[in-house]
Amino acid sequence: MAELTVVGKSVTRVDAGEKVTGEAIYGYDLILPNMLYGKVVFSPRPHAKIKRIDTEKARRLPGVHAVITAKDAPWTHGESIKDKPFLAQGKVRYIGEPVAAVAAEDEDTAQAAAKLIEVEYEDLTAYLDPEEACRPGAMPIHEDFPSYKKMEFVVTSPEMPNVCEHFKLRTGEVEKGFRESDFVFEERYSVPIIQHAAMEPHSSHAQVDPESGRVTIWVANDAPFRALHEISEALGLPKEKIRFINPLQGGGFGSKGGLKVEPIAVALAYHTGGRPVRVKFNREESFISTLTRHEAVIYIKSGVKKDGSIRARQVTIFWGAGAYAEKSPTVCIRGSLPAPGPYRIPHVKVDGYAVYTNKPVAGSFRGYGIPQGAWACEQHTDELASRLGMDPLEFRLKNVYVEGDTSYWGEKLHAVGLKETLIKAAEAIEWGKRDEGIKGSRVGKGLACIQKPTRSPTTSQAGVTVNNKGEVTVLAGTVEIGQGCNTILSQIAAEELKVPIEKVCMHSLDTDFIPFDASTTSSRSTYHMGNAVRRAAIDAREKIALMAAPMLEAKKEDLAFSDGKIYLKDHPEMSLAIGEVIRRKLGPATLLRGDGAYTYEIAKDLDLETGHSDHASAFYMYATQAAEVIVDEETGRVRILRMSAAHDLGKAINPLNCVAQIEGGLAMGIGSALHEHLVVDNQGKVRNPSFLDYHLVTSLDLPKMIPIIVECAEPEGPYGAKGLGEPGLAPTPAAIGNAVANALGVRIHDLPLTPERVYWAIQKGKTKAA
Amino acid sequence: MKKKIEITLNGKKTSLEVPAHRLLLDLLRDEIGLTGTKEGCGTGDCGACTVMLNGKPVNSCLILSGELNGVDIITIEGLKIGPEFHPVQKTFVQDGGAQCGYCTPGMLMMAKALLDENPNPTEEEIRFALSGNLCRCTGYAKIIQAVQDAAAEIRQRRTAQT
Repeated sequence: MAELTVVGKSVTRVDAGEKVTGEAIYGYDLILPNMLYGKVVFSPRPHAKIKRIDTEKARRLPGVHAVITAKDAPWTHGESIKDKPFLAQGKVRYIGEPVAAVAAEDEDTAQAAAKLIEVEYEDLTAYLDPEEACRPGAMPIHEDFPSYKKMEFVVTSPEMPNVCEHFKLRTGEVEKGFRESDFVFEERYSVPIIQHAAMEPHSSHAQVDPESGRVTIWVANDAPFRALHEISEALGLPKEKIRFINPLQGGGFGSKGGLKVEPIAVALAYHTGGRPVRVKFNREESFISTLTRHEAVIYIKSGVKKDGSIRARQVTIFWGAGAYAEKSPTVCIRGSLPAPGPYRIPHVKVDGYAVYTNKPVAGSFRGYGIPQGAWACEQHTDELASRLGMDPLEFRLKNVYVEGDTSYWGEKLHAVGLKETLIKAAEAIEWGKRDEGIKGSRVGKGLACIQKPTRSPTTSQAGVTVNNKGEVTVLAGTVEIGQGCNTILSQIAAEELKVPIEKVCMHSLDTDFIPFDASTTSSRSTYHMGNAVRRAAIDAREKIALMAAPMLEAKKEDLAFSDGKIYLKDHPEMSLAIGEVIRRKLGPATLLRGDGAYTYEIAKDLDLETGHSDHASAFYMYATQAAEVIVDEETGRVRILRMSAAHDLGKAINPLNCVAQIEGGLAMGIGSALHEHLVVDNQGKVRNPSFLDYHLVTSLDLPKMIPIIVECAEPEGPYGAKGLGEPGLAPTPAAIGNAVANALGVRIHDLPLTPERVYWAIQKGKTKAA
Repeated sequence: MKKKIEITLNGKKTSLEVPAHRLLLDLLRDEIGLTGTKEGCGTGDCGACTVMLNGKPVNSCLILSGELNGVDIITIEGLKIGPEFHPVQKTFVQDGGAQCGYCTPGMLMMAKALLDENPNPTEEEIRFALSGNLCRCTGYAKIIQAVQDAAAEIRQRRTAQT
């Protein structure tokens, strides 16, 4: 490969300037001319029939333009299962479900009107525990579930009416594997609900043109093309009649895909005579009425030989889906598949159940099910090592996937940097060295590793234009959610066209003229969109070379690009600025455009009975994190002394940005390990829907972080790149849990590791010892 | 109820007729159109709406418009020094202190407030000063680095001046 000029360099983020001056406009900032203000009435009951809704008083309030209920917006949507009404239809299924909405001249009037809407409910039995909702004989939360339209991969279970997906993996004979083992061990683990808590709350603006029927939606959505598809299906409106415009997004972490506020804004916009409507959720509403991360109960049973090889593993996971399916079927599938861990195991059986409950809706969250599985699997792995008397690092090094291994779902793996991440993460915290801790406290070390697939197959398309000044514009549907895609994609375009990065700009995102992209999810953008932008830039470059060849009286093959110019390889002084080539050939007002697309075409869906696929994912990311903790024996408080994170990301297009992603993931992982928990009480009500009570990690809560980049190149990826967005938080809680167990000699199987929980574990350990 | 107030906003004297019960945050964002000040919670928990009020950092979501007569307010839009970035703006760009950028304006205002008072803060002092400003993206590492670098630049400038 020719020497890289800008790829692999820590160039400054291209969006940093507008973000430090306040000029950047986010979805929540948007003020449209003549807009109305929306407000939503949410359900106060976890599960109830709607007996009556009285909107009369609200309608009579001066300044109110629209008051709507399900009668005015009789639509449903859902990515995998069409189960979610725009506004509650006949019954409510969780506290926080939108029931009615108003649009008014100003915020105060909208709020006053919402308060005037009277709703009468008749309570039904609420299911708050996924295992209980799963039991045969449980009353269905969705009575019409069998008749809902579902994607073909959704597997349901007639005897368990609240299961909206049952994932199965069958490899070898797990019972035989247990019989062959010297030692069999079983344990239960749990992960509570947490919330994305992106700093920008959720909002959506919408307008319906009364003449053409065209719907325009302004929203910070991380998958505008998918959202457009969902709205189109729900309304029965052709896609050409719908337009998504993406302002900047103030974080998402999975919460801002799919449809949340959008359906309400659209429904209201049908009743405002063409005026645009803004619907903003405040922080509390964003906590309870958008998305959460799945709570999970995980059972793992393993059989091992005395030599430390794992013979068999059985995993059963109950994913709490909340009241609507949203992305639960695919979280269940793609979270359950790797839950047995990145290990060579001949006999594996997995059953994952996504289960409806009467709680806030769970959906995609950075890591897509991997963090929950890793919490269980990676602690379990340490428990096995401890029973075998093996060092946890040594035990993993003996069992983890290496280059050329076949995974238990039948895929031959390549570009496996897992061992390197294990060794480097361990070294970074001086793995073999033990500290005693001061009196009254104990010190321990722990590590955990993961393998993360990406959604496959998916498509990204891109355009790259060059003007007669040699300025480059990238048209890509990847959403800048803070991860730095605009910088990465600019670097790739600059690299291929050999122009200074300052000459590259990213076009704003508008589905009317930006080429298709599947989504900004699943750590897929650098690889998929990176490939598409690279191809588009190469296409543009080839076109320029073709035009320049006669101008330079040379063959196309004899030309090369550098610093915004095209020149003769043998006579570098014979050159033309690329803008000049375009001006001469196309005239002053024309842009030259290159196009590119990428799909991982050989991807195969998982078999519905066995969970097998020989090409399940375009690439796999690997990571190991290692923690050193100190635990106060008197209070149970866990403090992390240092934490390393070694991530195999293929190739760092921008090392500084990669380090920043790893640090951000770690911080989120540490929060979920030590204190984050969206508490839903026994009445189905969220008790801590504020930053203060939820406790996001602050600048005072974090330890010394040691990010480590491992580059095990993926041949199909752009310059060898895979992805990085999600894995940062996935192994974190398990690494900390293992360190705590190492410090105390007792293990905690439930997250988060609050002082109270740790304190009682210490007391239990003392009782046992006595 | 509307109330007439006179304030100095980003160095300019401004007369406004404001709904007295609305928050300073809403006044800035919805009435004046300065959306650089961000709304993260509306309850004083996250610091995204931090502005300087009479030289002190405050959560603009906890202040009523009606109380503002005669005050001096600096928002993120007024942080630049002439056409130039304030040192914290420069180092946030250079060090990668902003990811999604939504907490950034509040962070910058709080960092400015800290550095105005203490141009040589320790890492602990920076962590403490920023502990009321939440960020979900960065893990704070690059933000703290940026504040340290800005402090160094401010000290250097002062030395150069004397």
